Amino acid sequence: MQGSSRRQALAGLMGAVAVAALSAGSAAAGEKITMWHIFGNATEPALANLAKWDKLNPDNPLDHKFIPFGQLSQQLIKGIATGDVPDLITIDNPVVASFASQGALEDLTEMVKASKVIKKDGYFPGSWNTTIWNGKQFAVPGEANTLALYYNADMFRAKGLDPDRPPRTWAELKAASEKLTDPAKNVYGIGFSAIQSEEGTFQWLPFLQQSGGNLRDLTSADSVAALALWADWVKSGQASKDVLVKRQFEMTSAFLGGGSAMVVSGPWELQRMDKDAKFEWRVAVLPVREGKNIEASALGGYVWGVPKGAKNPKLAFKVIEFMSEPEQMKQAWSGGRLPPVASIAIDNPSNPKAYEVFKRQMEFAKARGPHPAWPQISAAVQTAIQSALTGQATPAAALEKAQAVVKPLLDKNPIDGL
Amino acid sequence: MDQLLSTPKRWMLTALGLAIAGCYLFPVYWMYASSLKPSFELNASPPTLVPHAPTFAAYAWIFTRENMARYMGNSLVIASAVTALSLVLATGAAYALSRVRSFWMDAVLVGIMLSQVLPPALLATPMFVIFRQIDLINTQTAVVLATTTKTLPFAVVMLRTTFAQIPVELEEAARVDGCTRLSAFLRITLPVARIGYIVVGTLVFLLAYGEFVYPVSLVNKNELQPATVGLYGFVGADYSDWGNAMAFASVVVTPVILVFVLLQRRIVSGLTAGAIK
Amino acid sequence: MTSIDATAARPGRPRAAMRRGVLDRFTDSTAIWPVLVAATALYLIAFVGYPVLYTIIMSLQEVSVGNLRSLSRPWVGFDNYTRLFADPLFPLVLRNTVLFVGLNVVLQCAGGLAVALFFQQRFPGASFLRGLVLAGWILPPLVIGAVWKWLLASDNGVLNYALASLGHIAKPVYWLSDPATSLLAVTMANVWFGLPFNMILLAAGLAGIPRELYEAAAIDGAGPVRRFLSVTLPLLRPTLYALVALSTIYTMRAFDLIWTMTHGGPVDSSNIFPVWSYKLSFEVFDFSGGAAISTLMLAVVFVVAVAYLRSVRAEQSL
Repeated sequence: MQGSSRRQALAGLMGAVAVAALSAGSAAAGEKITMWHIFGNATEPALANLAKWDKLNPDNPLDHKFIPFGQLSQQLIKGIATGDVPDLITIDNPVVASFASQGALEDLTEMVKASKVIKKDGYFPGSWNTTIWNGKQFAVPGEANTLALYYNADMFRAKGLDPDRPPRTWAELKAASEKLTDPAKNVYGIGFSAIQSEEGTFQWLPFLQQSGGNLRDLTSADSVAALALWADWVKSGQASKDVLVKRQFEMTSAFLGGGSAMVVSGPWELQRMDKDAKFEWRVAVLPVREGKNIEASALGGYVWGVPKGAKNPKLAFKVIEFMSEPEQMKQAWSGGRLPPVASIAIDNPSNPKAYEVFKRQMEFAKARGPHPAWPQISAAVQTAIQSALTGQATPAAALEKAQAVVKPLLDKNPIDGL
Repeated sequence: MDQLLSTPKRWMLTALGLAIAGCYLFPVYWMYASSLKPSFELNASPPTLVPHAPTFAAYAWIFTRENMARYMGNSLVIASAVTALSLVLATGAAYALSRVRSFWMDAVLVGIMLSQVLPPALLATPMFVIFRQIDLINTQTAVVLATTTKTLPFAVVMLRTTFAQIPVELEEAARVDGCTRLSAFLRITLPVARIGYIVVGTLVFLLAYGEFVYPVSLVNKNELQPATVGLYGFVGADYSDWGNAMAFASVVVTPVILVFVLLQRRIVSGLTAGAIK
Repeated sequence: MTSIDATAARPGRPRAAMRRGVLDRFTDSTAIWPVLVAATALYLIAFVGYPVLYTIIMSLQEVSVGNLRSLSRPWVGFDNYTRLFADPLFPLVLRNTVLFVGLNVVLQCAGGLAVALFFQQRFPGASFLRGLVLAGWILPPLVIGAVWKWLLASDNGVLNYALASLGHIAKPVYWLSDPATSLLAVTMANVWFGLPFNMILLAAGLAGIPRELYEAAAIDGAGPVRRFLSVTLPLLRPTLYALVALSTIYTMRAFDLIWTMTHGGPVDSSNIFPVWSYKLSFEVFDFSGGAAISTLMLAVVFVVAVAYLRSVRAEQSL
């Protein structure tokens, strides 16, 4: 592996020298920057940013390829296995540590330190954290998203609840959910996704953090309370059993179709809400647990990484810097995402109230990990959630099983702050 | 035995046939219906069987935003090439396997079946290594060659069965009359196997038309991708644009269904003429 | 179609006989058989042989993202297998796979035969309707999964809605989200998907059965059931054997439908080997574990293929 990458580096160098000799000056003029990204049909702001780069840098245009989100890890693994990697790639943030710890990503620490655009201080701490492994920087946040509580204001009024005072505590949330549940009308009080995939973990972690529990201590009474909260909703019929197989998107669809009065979801749904909701909807920050008062939310979004063996890491980093400029980052909101930089404010945002809510949630959004074995940890958590929600095990028993998997992994590689 | 059926009874069978096909096609209907619903109606509760206010907005969207002609052209080229390659390659092997019995022939048949066990998702990485070695990465040729590995075993097994059903005596009679084996095969066996070829060819075409993993892993250029890859663009990290996806799928699938129904008549004319008399 | 006797009567054209040269002598000899098989065999060895070998080797090694690129990775013998066998998930996934594959093969072949026989009868529109039924096979798996997920949704799914309207159920059935029914639900969707494929191949097989045999049986006084058992079934056997073998293999690698509908859940109740293998390889990055499952699948299909061959050969020696 080293041999061939050295050969590649040498070839790249010779090529660069040859080109430099010809064009006398600009080091890598004419070289294309290869990029794999997840910007499909619905992420046009990001695609616009790519086009903008091409326009401003005709000498080093992007040779970019769309990869369906579900294929991202598989394609990166294929690239690593064959040595055929792009210069730049978008990565889902919880797997950065897995790839970084195995030496699959370029160390960007020095380049970031020297950068005039990318400054740690501006970033939301959660977002920044996802890019660090073992004290080194392996990626740069590209966009961020998080979770909040959407609710149907019309249903609130119909059930005598004040839509101007959304639930602020677990107790209020539970009470609201109970009141809003209306089996005769096929309405569930609350919706969330507990699917057996990363999305399920993503949705439950905020509740775990609010409870005062944590991944290190899954068997504590607080952690168990977080899972019992979800399990009780399903058991009492306040949440549909379909939470077990439905993705966040599908749960939000149910909310939009009037099937649930509240749903835990993210800013990516705002456009759809504007377009499709036939009722008055609002967004509130996730509630806190009484006595704990811990604000928490989840942190989602992709990061930019440079795979080991990339031919043009320097050029790739230039693209990252370009995409990190406020001008480009501001585009995120029109696609239902947030800039990962706290200091970048969107001027006159659409859905200003929702914008405030999500921006506030970002302050408390915690990274998943970072941990090289995050996928295993997450899988254990998913199994626990599902066992408890199907009633196959009590929340305590389910979490005990998860703890047996998670604890050794955390002992081996602790997560900061746990 | 056709004479046994009276006319009213035949029409009753038609009604029953319609009911079976109707039930069976409901999911297909649902795809079309969903493509005509505004997105808020997709998840209505209770579900709406017929779109309340049909809209072509999704179609307008995909035709303005997506390069449908390119996608479908690529799909067509890839699937046609795979079909041709699979049938040509499979013919010899299937014929030999149907006529000769030996340990080695058996071993080959087992090997052929084994080759299709692993889903493309698990084969794509090592296959990429091969295509890089022969410098075919980023070409549709690579996609055709890779997809054929999936369809070829199927074609061999099914054509082998077709040939096995054709009595050897027919060929032997021809050879007694002075035919070479090749001409006996071309003039006797192949025409009789015609139906088998049409059926297997159609199914191979459809298998190739729907392939997704090989193009996405072997080709780095969006311009060369078939429609299946475009379809996955509607399913993102945290959103899925099903309304537009259903319209996209409808556009991709409809011409194939039409051709297929038309082709079915040809198959049937072959079937009813009586293949072997 | 012109009768075969007419074609066969014309072979001895003098010129053809004169040109009978090296090629014909070669094609007429037994040497032609290995050559015919070789084209396919070499093709598959070239393109699938290496990936399969790669998978088997990986199942005997310790593979991580870090050493993925080099082939000289630490050998661990059968550790990956013992690890999997010890996994509490193993018995569950094994049971799911056996159930899923078994149900699918039986229902797809029997259902395919029933539909093929039905449309074999001559009534107006029979052939057209048979053609339409195949439309189901044309939809991309992603779309099939999404549509079935809609149809089977507990709260606003069409199936529950229909059952409730007909008064069959008082409470919604949790098709996908109840661990007791989720495997059944994905099986239903997969049978729907695979049935037309079996149907058309059986229809082609049925067409190959000479009508005279039925007529002779009818004259002998055989009723429809008897005719089916003594004429249809024996003559269809080669096709049926091939179909059983093929649907076993195709069902064994079914992936997209389950992935879209349940992701293997709830609590792994619809998790089968290919899904598990994919999850291990690409979600948890346990490449060796994923490869070991793939190798196990290869072993199972080896047994199926040998069984298929034995039944085919037994048939031929009758």
